[in-house]
Amino acid sequence: MKKKVLATLTVLALAAGLAAAFTSPPDALQGDFVRILYIHVPSAWLAFLAFGVTAAGSIGWLFTHRMGWDRTAEASAETGVLFTAVALATGMIWGKPVWGTYWDWGDARLATTALMFFVYLGYLALRRTTSDPYRQARRSSVLGAVAVVQVPLVYFSVKLWRTLHQGLTIRPDGIQMDGAMVTALLVNLGAFTLLYLTLMSFRTELARLEEAVCESEISVQSRVTVPQLGEVEA
Amino acid sequence: MKAGFWRSASIIAQRDLRVEIRSGEALSVVFPFAVVATWVVPLATDASPGLLRDLAAPVYWLIFLLFGMMIVFRQTASETADHRRVLALTGLDPAARFVGRSAASTLILFPISGMLVIPVIVLYDYRPPSGIWLMIPVIILGAIGMSMLGTLAADVTVGLRARTSLAPLLMAPLAAPLLMSASQALESLIAGGGIILWVLVLVIADLGLAAAGVMSARALEEIAL
Repeated sequence: MKKKVLATLTVLALAAGLAAAFTSPPDALQGDFVRILYIHVPSAWLAFLAFGVTAAGSIGWLFTHRMGWDRTAEASAETGVLFTAVALATGMIWGKPVWGTYWDWGDARLATTALMFFVYLGYLALRRTTSDPYRQARRSSVLGAVAVVQVPLVYFSVKLWRTLHQGLTIRPDGIQMDGAMVTALLVNLGAFTLLYLTLMSFRTELARLEEAVCESEISVQSRVTVPQLGEVEA
Repeated sequence: MKAGFWRSASIIAQRDLRVEIRSGEALSVVFPFAVVATWVVPLATDASPGLLRDLAAPVYWLIFLLFGMMIVFRQTASETADHRRVLALTGLDPAARFVGRSAASTLILFPISGMLVIPVIVLYDYRPPSGIWLMIPVIILGAIGMSMLGTLAADVTVGLRARTSLAPLLMAPLAAPLLMSASQALESLIAGGGIILWVLVLVIADLGLAAAGVMSARALEEIAL
């Protein structure tokens, strides 16, 4: 029931976000292309959050060995990879008309985000090497805890390297955006956060069911006794 | 009698170095292979002197990453699950094993990466900027980071059939920030700037990897048992 309520709220919030994105004013330089950023920026932020949660879940598992932590880490990593893919794709679509190219190697944010994407694809590939949930947790928890270093690297890449990407929009000295645009961005950020929570809730439940199936398979296998040659009737 | 942490790490490092000295694989196989790679790149381009000079540093860092991974994984691949069980039964601290393995890999990787500078200078007519010796601590810090990352990746994938492809897949993107910092230090040197920021980034990355390796050593030991 709670999941249905959450899913309904997410759909409503996404609709509101879409409306806010289309009714916000066009940018003085980018024109209507700025609307892509209402998907791009929340996706990137949610990817950071998702990988932070993956690290927290991994560290939690390392200390407690409770499978709930690992389920959270796995679900969050998958969701984070999805949001990173969306952020990369929308960034490229936006880049073509605004920068004149889909991909620019001089852009440190783009390059480090792609690296982060590959790191977490590796994390998911590592998990797929075994179907035993406990073994998956043992192998991936260390990587989940270490890989999070990519998040500050991506975030501060615009400060560390000379880059084509714009600098930090939200800074201690204020927000470098028009008020109506900030509203549209915040509405979409809220909607994407709800989407993240919905996906997490469904994915953790799925992981719990997968674990139950795995345990029942092990239980069935342990009960099956192989007939001895002498016991088989002709 | 149980040996102390540093004594245990030193024993593991000495064992790995002894194995390398006997087989000489890093020097006699991996290094020549890396030289061949530096030789192949000009053949794949129009080999104009200007282009080759521009390619020299990126090719060096690329070879440092790819062949560095070969060295680090070769070191760790020699240890089977049975070896790990025996080490665990002796009561060896798994964190000491991590430190020892990483130290040995660094001691092999650093001279090889130093020697790789020679073919790059000769074949690409590279003219190092003044103060190039400042890159020595950068390469040492890069080699330490690569070694720790390689040891971690090898431990995470121990016993898997897909290990030979999965370990580099895990390591290469994580090692890229180390190489990006190292290459930026060289760029800064060429531009006449300081490299202290990039040295600091590498030190922080190495300390983070050391902490992750030491803290996760016990959990990683369980994977192999």
